Amino acid sequence: MSPADKKILVIVPAFNECGNIGRTVQEIRHTIQGVDILVINDGSKDTTAQEAIQAGGMVVSLPFNLGIGAAVQTGFQYAQRHQYDIAVQIDGDGQHDASFLDKIVGPIRADEADMVVGSRFLEKTGGFQSSFSRRMGIGFFVHLINVLTGVKIKDPTSGFRAYNKKMIALFSEYYPHDFPEPEAIVLAQQAGARIVELPVIMRPREAGSSSIRYFKTVYYMTKVTLAILLYMIRQQRGES
Amino acid sequence: MNIHVVAIVVSVAIFLFVIELVRRRRLTFKYAIGWLLVSAGAIFFAVFYRLLFACAAFLGFELPSNFIFFALFCVFITLSLLLTVFLCQQNNRNDVMAQKIALLEFELKELKKKLKVE
Repeated sequence: MSPADKKILVIVPAFNECGNIGRTVQEIRHTIQGVDILVINDGSKDTTAQEAIQAGGMVVSLPFNLGIGAAVQTGFQYAQRHQYDIAVQIDGDGQHDASFLDKIVGPIRADEADMVVGSRFLEKTGGFQSSFSRRMGIGFFVHLINVLTGVKIKDPTSGFRAYNKKMIALFSEYYPHDFPEPEAIVLAQQAGARIVELPVIMRPREAGSSSIRYFKTVYYMTKVTLAILLYMIRQQRGES
Repeated sequence: MNIHVVAIVVSVAIFLFVIELVRRRRLTFKYAIGWLLVSAGAIFFAVFYRLLFACAAFLGFELPSNFIFFALFCVFITLSLLLTVFLCQQNNRNDVMAQKIALLEFELKELKKKLKVE
């Protein structure tokens, strides 16, 4: 099988994204041919599901809101069941520019990486760079992950990612449930994955609001830090 | 009325109440066992309160009441921790089921579509 005809699933987690999701699905369809688009409707209370179907996506609707991690994991489970070679995760809020899809799938196709992270901060590419306080938080995770695992990822909270079969199998079994992105990098590293980061440009949201609001930030930082530390302890115990 | 009689009556009442809950199938034995053991212990010490006083003195508590509060505190912390573990397990199972249902529902819809076309 040539690298070009690998079976690709684009996973789009969406919670109350009407106004964004249709455009996101159409954008993906226009930029990359021959991929399946699976929207995980995470218990939305609006017309997210209908909009995504109209735009030509497949829609799996969770019966209630499970959170981004469980939604993305549902996508991995689908990919695992239907034996996709590559899974791409792209946010349903329109922040991720689908024209970079081909680029972040590249290293997986060429079997140079198991996991590719699309990064805002890798090059001075411009585009949306997030607020100052958000960047401070991201910087903290960059250093935490680097010190603990030796992996250098400049944008560990980015949800624009590509995975190969090995990662699909791993994450369909276990994937962190809330705020999963930084933790997923640590888990992948512990599983011996080759992680590659590529520059992408992100856009500010056009409709709706991000699921990470100010009052949640402290909880977010604490939870992710503790979770990563616990993974490290677990791994050390596993090795000894 | 004697405080010991009150203590015995209350702990026996709790013990019987738990048994009644199990009998009515409002509580399964698995989750009742903790409460049964605790209330049985309470009955035991309410009857043999001198033993309780001796234990308190042996462990260095100045007042037996302090010992009782401390022991109850430990029991409740343990029970609530166990309940949190149980809650967490239920929560995980719930999530797994929601994911399975969503995927099955989707596949069922696709299958029906295919059947209609054929």
